[in-house]
Order: sequence, then structure tokens, then C-alpha cells
Amino acid sequence: MKIKSPPNLRYPVTVTELLRQRDDPVERSEGLFKYYYEVKVNEVDRHEQSKEVIRRIPERFNSPFDGTVSEWFIKSGTVIERPGVDIVEIEEPCTHEIQFGGLCANCGKDMTVQDYLTDQRNSERAPINMTHNNVALLVSEREAGRADEEARTRLLSAKKLSLIVDLDQTVIHTTCERTVADWQADENNPNHEAVKDVRSFQLADDAHSNIASNWYYVKKRPGLDEFLERMSQLYEMHVYTMATRAYAEAVAKIIDPTGKYFGDRILSRDENYTDKLKSLQRLFPTNTDMVVIIDDRADVWHYSANLVRVPVFNFFPGAGDINASFLPKQQELITTKAKVKHIDEAVTSAESKVVGEAVEISPTEVEKEPTESANGGLTELEQQIISMGSQNDPEKLEEQVKEQEELIIAQQTERPLLQQQLQLDKEDEEAEQKEEQESSQESENGESQPTPHPKHRHSILHDDDRGLEVVERNLRAVHDAFYDEYRSKKRALAGGRVAELKGSPKKRINNVIPDVKILMPRMKEEVLAGTILVFSGIIPLGIDVLTSDLALWAMSFGAEVVTEVTRYTTHVIANPDRKTTKVRKAARYPNIKIVNVDWMLQCCTRWERVDEEPYLIEMDSDDRGASPADDLDDSDIGVVPDEVIGQPTTRVSIDMTADQWENIDAELEEFMNETDDTDAESDAESLASDASTPSNGTPKKKRKRLNPENPDESGTDDSDASVSSTSRLQKRRKRTMGRVSSLTNMVVAEKSSGLPSPETTGPEEETMEEGGEDVVKPLGVDIDLDDGDYDDGLEAEMLAQFEAAASDDEDGDGNGE
Amino acid sequence: MFFLKELEKTIQLHPSYFGPLIRKHIHRELLLKEEGSSTGSYTIVTILDTFDISDGIVVPGSGAAEYTVHYKAIVWKPYKNEVVDGVVTSVVRTGFFVDVGSLKAFVSSSMIPSSITFDPNATPQHWTDNGDQTIEKGTNVRIKIKGLRHEVDQMFAICTMKEDYLGPLTA
Repeated sequence: MKIKSPPNLRYPVTVTELLRQRDDPVERSEGLFKYYYEVKVNEVDRHEQSKEVIRRIPERFNSPFDGTVSEWFIKSGTVIERPGVDIVEIEEPCTHEIQFGGLCANCGKDMTVQDYLTDQRNSERAPINMTHNNVALLVSEREAGRADEEARTRLLSAKKLSLIVDLDQTVIHTTCERTVADWQADENNPNHEAVKDVRSFQLADDAHSNIASNWYYVKKRPGLDEFLERMSQLYEMHVYTMATRAYAEAVAKIIDPTGKYFGDRILSRDENYTDKLKSLQRLFPTNTDMVVIIDDRADVWHYSANLVRVPVFNFFPGAGDINASFLPKQQELITTKAKVKHIDEAVTSAESKVVGEAVEISPTEVEKEPTESANGGLTELEQQIISMGSQNDPEKLEEQVKEQEELIIAQQTERPLLQQQLQLDKEDEEAEQKEEQESSQESENGESQPTPHPKHRHSILHDDDRGLEVVERNLRAVHDAFYDEYRSKKRALAGGRVAELKGSPKKRINNVIPDVKILMPRMKEEVLAGTILVFSGIIPLGIDVLTSDLALWAMSFGAEVVTEVTRYTTHVIANPDRKTTKVRKAARYPNIKIVNVDWMLQCCTRWERVDEEPYLIEMDSDDRGASPADDLDDSDIGVVPDEVIGQPTTRVSIDMTADQWENIDAELEEFMNETDDTDAESDAESLASDASTPSNGTPKKKRKRLNPENPDESGTDDSDASVSSTSRLQKRRKRTMGRVSSLTNMVVAEKSSGLPSPETTGPEEETMEEGGEDVVKPLGVDIDLDDGDYDDGLEAEMLAQFEAAASDDEDGDGNGE
Repeated sequence: MFFLKELEKTIQLHPSYFGPLIRKHIHRELLLKEEGSSTGSYTIVTILDTFDISDGIVVPGSGAAEYTVHYKAIVWKPYKNEVVDGVVTSVVRTGFFVDVGSLKAFVSSSMIPSSITFDPNATPQHWTDNGDQTIEKGTNVRIKIKGLRHEVDQMFAICTMKEDYLGPLTA
């Protein structure tokens, strides 16, 4: 190890003599070299005259550790001016690269001792923990790199990748409710079939806590055994869970009884240092190129590029994740009422589970049963506790443990499952004549043919989750992509003689190995590439839309998320029950598809652009029919200030939070106002339009549906807008562009929001090309009529805009005719 | 190494235990709390029967009584260079972990004879010389302590297997 000049010397110092020569052994605290430094001192001579003199003070520099001197960087006479100068290289007999419990694993010395010679503590040499089941064993960076290297060669030769598997709600679902055991015993129970294979266990360490002999009931995700078997051919699997060690091991014994899939590679909360996050570096400290993660939550992984997000497995409704009280609270969505048209019961999904249930490939309505029993209240408490502080203080931990206990006790005593089943039974009786069908497509697309169903009792549990099939397909794709690229790169390398001569063999092999962190985002970004999404009524107020869970998820799939509806928007992800301003605005553009959140979730779990058709939200004809003219104008001219040229129009940078707040406020305000007058208005409107021009709404809607698959090209087949009008509009826009002035900054008094529209910025030149064909689309007939006015100039434009904005309703009517 | 050591412990007893069986309660409490516990430098293996209970003093304010118990116990204190037997708890690439009673020990790869190598592909992972010596989870091993460190309530040791008569135990 190289010794540098320490900070605690009196610089400058001058070396006078080297006490050890090269290859001499030196022991700790033995002298290495002699030096002197000079200080000014006040001396009083015998005449009591005080005088300042410079004194040389000789000193000896001692070796901070044992070893052999291998190289000197100084010689006698050298002046060392400052700390941090290389002095000597000493080769140590042991570099303490592996340490166990503060001891060096190779020489057995205590690494924590500290004395006057210590400048760097030995324990700092090995800061990395990379073992699954032990916190006492630490290794140095070099050793960790070696281990990674070794693992990599092993995996490459076996044609495998590493796969980190989360337990709760990803591959299993656990509840503590005894009802499950009762149902298991009762063959006549409608749920018997589903819970037949539920496994249970008790944990020994629960005896210490207040939960008396608690039973855990574990349901394996359907198809798990086959999934693990097949994945073990492609991946070396690790378990990484936020549950306790004992729980993790008990579950591992259930899903992997022989230990052939996971072996000892189980990491639990006990070894994870923090209970907030999961870290890839904890297991793969130096190289994460070959690691894939499957987890139902992305936030705990900091939206890692290695993550394959899995639809939540929620088998026991309302049970949630019993180990989630240790995790940060999941971002909630606005509680939505799922619109199941043919079924009379209004179905409310409980708290944040909306995401989860929606993601499931075949969510059944019953799973969306209200679970406002014990669980809802508890999670609120949970949230409070978590928001109390982010420090890892023991008090909080204790509270979290208590919280978990409470949750478990609530599940034991209140038995939400049983309650729900009872309620369901009751409902069944009530609605006996009504045929209810629980096929999976039904809830998926909301339209199904009710068929007679002989079953008299419905079960609360459904054993029809297909999440693992999707995950398997994705994992296979990643594996194939990885090894395809590896092979082709290797072949290219073998061909190039020049490349072979360049660099060390190790470096070469590094270049050959593809990186999952690059590979996977590339695959994912293709999915929603080119789409511009707006969320409406999905993300609750107070959460920054652009950093919300859903938005980040969509963005990882290549979508662009913006806060305002513009012409360029391709999809509006909306809440089917709430017609927000954005939805209304979007409805005026026939090219914008208004879909529910399931569409996005489907795309993001299946890694493919799903057909929007089944997810479209029905729009009233008057909403659809209204002209987009006014909005078009303000996004065209009014909103674009000339000084900020150089950014794409639609991109809203994250620091625009003030504007977003304004928008959110405006939306809220709008929503509040809406209930009184606008509703009545729109009712009247719809009546009028229905009566007078019944054909008006339908063709437009149809048009929208014609091409749900390729929204990018949607402009091309728009037969309504004539070619001439496009070119005229383009001309007009170009002209407007040409005379950019401060006038273009004008704020349009938009009736709908009551606030100035946000200043989306950007160059028109850039967007012109791509936007050119899109422009065709939103053009209503009335614009064609108005075109003449526009030609007159800017004043006319402004006038028209004010008119358009002021007489929204009239416009709509005029549009109809 | 095992020692016979005289120890002292203060036990608080709840008033509900006051009665003719009070000595029994104190004894039970002592066994429950002390046996198997580790102070950081030694482990109490077993408490011998002869012990001496002081007069109880009622703690003001709580009603509980405090007894000071003097007792003899067999304790185990590990020393450097001591040869111990233990059970393997976990096997990793860099070595394996052994539990020697309350002592947590680690045998690193440099302390394992070079004839025994790590096999990462086996299930479960193990160290083996491809002969009769296989070290996996649950194997009994004889090892020698090379380094020791004490913490408040636990002890760590670095052990070696690279000497004569050390290694996995057959039986």
C-alpha cells in the first residue's frame, strides 16, 4: 500500500535520512525516515531580550503498518510541501480484503483497532457486503470485482443471466386470515377450489411478539412451478424480499422445496441494511450488466433499468402485502369506480390496489370488491407512520413492526375475506334472476354477452391470474436478445484481427458482453414510442404528474408524458367516471384516443402496443363533435412565445411545477364549477344535438375508431379535411411563424379554464415537419369557413380567437351545421 | 475453554410470585435468563445447582422485589489457537460460516486446504475435494481459531482448516 504524507505534519518538512532501504522489512511503528521541520519560536536570552528565532526540529516518521518496503518516492533532501505526496510503497503480507465481523478473514487480525498511527482504519478497506445471508462478511472493492468477474464467466458459459425475484405479490400472495384454513377444509365452499393448494406455515420468532402462533397462508401464483423450472434454465435466480429472514426461508421452502432454484441465494430485510429500498448493488456491487429483476413495485428499486415490472398478484382481496409496512408507501391513485356496465353492482377498488388489479390480465369484478374493512383504515395509519420520518431510528422501526402486527391481527380477527364472501353471497341471492358472468374478457373490455350461469354461489377468490405467462415471455425475450447480441458481437470480434490486438483480453471480453441496462430499455422504449400521453383524473392532486409512478412507468416505455392536452397528444389516459377538462378538450380532437388506465398498464406489462379499442372511453357525441378550433388556435399561436425557440413544443420541463399547479388548480376549480351549471348546459346541449343532428356525433366517433392501432398515421386517412384546407392552414401557420412578434405572446382568455393557458414553449419550425400532417386532423369544417378571416392578418386572428373563446357553445352549434 | 465461574445476577420478581414457592421462581428465572446467554467474552453453558439468594428488597414505587443471586456456572470462553467443533451454517464463494455455540466463525478460502475447492454449480453449493470431504450447510467441522473479536453480546472468530486433523467430521 502506498503511504502518502499525512495531514498532521508541520509542512514543509525536509527528509534527512531514509531508515529502510528497498526490500527491507518494516514493522508497524518502526521508523521509515527521518526529517526535520522549521518553526519560529520566541526565545528569551539571559538579558531578558525576547527574540524570534527559527529552529529546526528533527522528527521520525513511523510506519503505520507491517510489510516490506517496495519503492521509495523520496530521497534524503526531498522537501515535502503538503499532505498527499507519495512517500513510500509498502507491500503488506495481508491486504485484509475479506473481513468478517471486524476481523480479517485471512490473517485473523482485529480490523477495528485504532491508535496514533492509524490514518485509515483497516475496516474501511472492505466496505462491500455481497453475501446474501450474512451482514458480518465484508469484502474490498477489488475482491468484489473478482467475485463478479467469476460469476460472469460462470453465467456466460452456462448461457444464463441473473434474475432477482421478489416474493410478496410477485410470485406468491400471503394472508394471515384463518378463513383460508376453514375454506380449505370445507369442500362445499365455493372458494375451496382456489385455496386447495394454499400452503401454510408458522414462524418460530413470532412467539416473541404479540401475535400468538400466527399462521401464514401462502398462495403460489398460478403456474409458478413451471415458471421457476423454465426460468432456471435461463437464469440464476435470487430471492430479494422485504420480509424477515424466517419468513423468506419458509416461503422459499414452499416454492422451492429442494433448493434447486434459489439455493442459499436469499436476501431478506434482515440483511438489507435499509427497509426503504432494494439495491442491486447490495448483491452485484460492481457489475449489473447481466442482472434482471422482477418485482411488482418499481419505486423501491428507484425505477432501475434492470427491472421487469410484474403485474401485482393479488389473490386474497384486501390482504395486500403483509410485509409492506416496511416499504415506503406506494403512490396512490385516485380511487376509481370501475365501470362495469352490465353488472349492476358498483365496484370500488380499494386504495392503491387499483393499479394492481388493473394490471392483472384478467381482473374479475369481484376482486374489485370494496375492501374498506380493516385494511383501508390501517393503510392510512401506515402512511402516517411512514411519513413521520425517513430516518432509520429504532423507534420508527418498532412502530413499523407493531404496525405489521396490527395488520396481521386485524386480518386474524376481522377476517375481511370472510366478510366479503358473505356479502357476495348476499348479493348473489338478491340478484338471482340477473345473470352474471365472470368470464375474464368481460371486465377487460367492459362489454360482454351475459350468458346464463348455473353457479349459484360466487366465490371471492379467483385462481385465474396469468401474470407469470406474460413475465416469462418478457424474460425470455430479454435472455434471447442478450445472447443474440453477445454472439454477434463475439463473432465480429473473432473476425477483426485488429480488435484482437487492441487492449487486454479482459477489456475485450468486457466489450463483448452486452448490458441489460441498455438492452432492456431499448426493447421497452419501442412499445410506446411516439405516443404523447396526458393523464387526467388518474393521478391525485398534490402529486407531481411527471414524477408520479404511472408517468415514470409510461416514460420507461418510450412514451412522452405531458400535462396539457395539445394537438400533438396521442392518448389521454382518463378516469372513465370523471369527465375532466382535459378529457373534454381531448374529445374535440378526433385523433386523440381517450382510454382508461388499463390500456397503458396492459402495454407496459405485455411490452407491446395493445389495441386501444377495448379500452376506449365512450364520449358523448356533443363532446366529440365540438370543434377543436379554439383550442387549436391557442396552442398554435397564443401559447408559443417567440423567445424560447429551441425546445420541442410539447415537452414540458419538470421545473415548470408552478404551471402544473396552476393547471391542477384550474382543473379542480373547473370541476367544482362544473357540477352546477355546465352539466345542465351539456345536458341541454346533448339533447339539442341529439334531436337536431343525430348523425353528427357518430361519424366522427367512427372515424376515431377506424385506426386505433396506428395513431401516428391517423392524419393520413382523415377524409373530412380536404387537402386544400391543409395546405392553406400550413401556409397560414408558416406565415404566422414568419412574423413572430410580441403579439404572439397574447394570452387567450380561455373560458374553460378561467386561467391563462400554460406557456408551452418551443420552436414551430421543428414541430412543423412532424406536426404538419397532424394538423390536418383536428381541423373542423368551421375552420375552413373561417379561413378567409385568418388570411386578413393577425388582428383578425386575435379577433377570431376571442370570438371563438367567448362563444364556445355557439361554436359547437355552428360546427354541427 | 470451559471454566467454572462464580457469577452474580440481580433478579426482580413481580409481587404475584411472592409465596412459598418463591425460591423456585427465582431459580427458574435465573435459568431462563442466563443459560445460553453470551456476554461478549464468554457464554454461560450451564448453571450449577448450588446458589445463594440474598434477602429480597422491595423496590420503592413498584412493589417488585429485588434479589441478588450468587451462583456458579460453567462458562465457555474461546481462545486463539483453540480447536473447536461447529456446524456449517452457510457456504459462500469466499469460504463458509460455522456456528460454534454462540460464537460465529468464518473460514475463508485462504484458510481452506487447496485440495478442497468451491463448486458453485452444485445444489446446494459446497466446498469439496471430490473425494470424501464435502462441506455444505449442516456439515460438522473441526476448526482452529485464528482470530477473535468481542462485541457487546456476540463474538466473532476467524478459523482455519489448513492444519492436521482439522476438517469435516464424519459421524
